[in-house]
Amino acid sequence: MKILVIIRQTPDTEAKIQANSTQNGIETSNIKWILNPFDEIAVEEAVQIKEKSASEVIILTVGSERSLEALRTALAMGGDSAIHITDDSFADMDSYALSKVIASKIKSIGDVDLILSGKKWIDEESGQVAIQIAEELGIPQATLATKIDLDEANKSVKVQSEIEGGQRIVELKLPALITCERGLNEPRYASLPGIMKAKKKPLEEVQMDSIDVGELGLTKESLGNAGSRLKVDSIEIPVIKRTLTILKGGKSDMVQADEVKKASEELARLLREEAKII
Amino acid sequence: MGEIWVLVDTSQGVIRNVTYEVLTAARKLKEKNGATIAAVYVGDEAGSIEEDLSKYGAEKIYKIENPTLKDFNASAHAHALAETIKKHNPDIILAGNTLQNQDFLPRVASRTSSGLSFDAIDIDINSSSTLQVKRYRYSGKSISTISYHDVKPMIATLRPNAFKPVENQTSAEVINESIDVPAENNMKVLETKIIPKERPELTEADKIVSGGRGMANGDNFKLIFDIADSIGAAAGASRAAVDSGFVPYEMQVGQTGKVVSPNLYVAVGISGSVQHYAGMGSSTIIVAINKDPDAPIFQKCDYGICGDLFEVIPALTEEFKNLS
Repeated sequence: MKILVIIRQTPDTEAKIQANSTQNGIETSNIKWILNPFDEIAVEEAVQIKEKSASEVIILTVGSERSLEALRTALAMGGDSAIHITDDSFADMDSYALSKVIASKIKSIGDVDLILSGKKWIDEESGQVAIQIAEELGIPQATLATKIDLDEANKSVKVQSEIEGGQRIVELKLPALITCERGLNEPRYASLPGIMKAKKKPLEEVQMDSIDVGELGLTKESLGNAGSRLKVDSIEIPVIKRTLTILKGGKSDMVQADEVKKASEELARLLREEAKII
Repeated sequence: MGEIWVLVDTSQGVIRNVTYEVLTAARKLKEKNGATIAAVYVGDEAGSIEEDLSKYGAEKIYKIENPTLKDFNASAHAHALAETIKKHNPDIILAGNTLQNQDFLPRVASRTSSGLSFDAIDIDINSSSTLQVKRYRYSGKSISTISYHDVKPMIATLRPNAFKPVENQTSAEVINESIDVPAENNMKVLETKIIPKERPELTEADKIVSGGRGMANGDNFKLIFDIADSIGAAAGASRAAVDSGFVPYEMQVGQTGKVVSPNLYVAVGISGSVQHYAGMGSSTIIVAINKDPDAPIFQKCDYGICGDLFEVIPALTEEFKNLS
């Protein structure tokens, strides 16, 4: 089995986000970057499959030099090799072009049986690129997987997923693409030996220039911000404007047992009469 | 004068509320560019949806019906919609940000070489009739204004509860589209289980009560369920509560859980971390119950009680019951 995991480096979930000086992107200098938490689940799943059956796990990302760290984390978790597609002109590429570039790289690797990725990127709040890659490759997909059962002999995979109002189980013929949801597994921490080994694992650097975008129906100009179908005009950081009406106790901050009824009455009244919400 | 399409989302044959919200949002664009609003059904059998859709301003209804579309399959659905797009060439396509739409619209965008963005909280068109959306990026931590450039159709999904549905009676012309949908043999649905919910879905709920680490254990979530039921609310949880194993992941609200935007969000025993706020910060009214006066949530809420949740919640549940 050849398994490919598509990952992305994202700001840490606790990172404070601020607009950059041109107000159309974020200030990236003081941010801690991590492997996208949902992609971490995808890496874990690939490694678990490898531990059960002889498989090769390839990690792929598109991003700046900085995203090498995320690749290393995935290798330290158990990936065998990594592909890093770099070029600064990728920075604002839209998902349409990005999925074409990644799909073409996957085609050139050849014989990939299973592609895994997180259900969404927590920075862009979207999982559309993975699905567009499946479309470009002409392979089936299952999204939001909470259980994956591979049947190597039959070249198929059963996937349990969340759907609106319930769940369902589908069977896909390989090759297939699956996006991973929390609950699928508990991602391991990279061990120290794992981190040491990761430094020696094969890493292929692919420059944008080496990809024949003409063959993908794209032009060089259509890549990056200039040719993007969607452009960020501006970015604003929502200011928290809340009324902060906090009911406290008479003697201390905390409402005491004998004050609870009064405080609850007052809160219910505020919600009904002032907020008009109940 | 082009068309704005609104995808019809149904749940067990009934049109979901989010469709009416999206129809209402589409009318806002129509006021500016005079486009025709068309509702588009993709599935095995639409049933009689005309009356409900025309109540909210649909002037045309395209019914793309095919038995092959019974079990949702992203490729088959994408094929059916993409072929119809190529035939009628709409300018804009709007849909609710439902799981199903997030699952197949990326394929439609690829097939029609169009632009797609998810989960808009507001939409507009500029003078040259291009679509502009506002959406959260980095979860609730930033709002980006994004414009489409030289691309058609412009596809966007809208966050449930972002638009209030308003009726506007029209008479709708029904157009039946017959599209050949090749049977997909590389994907098969083995089992679909609709789990009857005792409470509203988190992502579409008008009111939500969530419990956090302060609940101490899973059994205590009965308090959350009781108070939620007293006001017809959905029940959620913080990441800390889910990580501690109190309740399942489906209930998690936050950057790595569900992003919600109800009119009322009650946070019980939740400290209010950046990543939790990222998932519920767009709620209209936020109420916090916490015993720690220094909890960050008290800097990010409209109302709160600083007190022991095990005393406050039963008392507040009684008050809510008395009100309703």
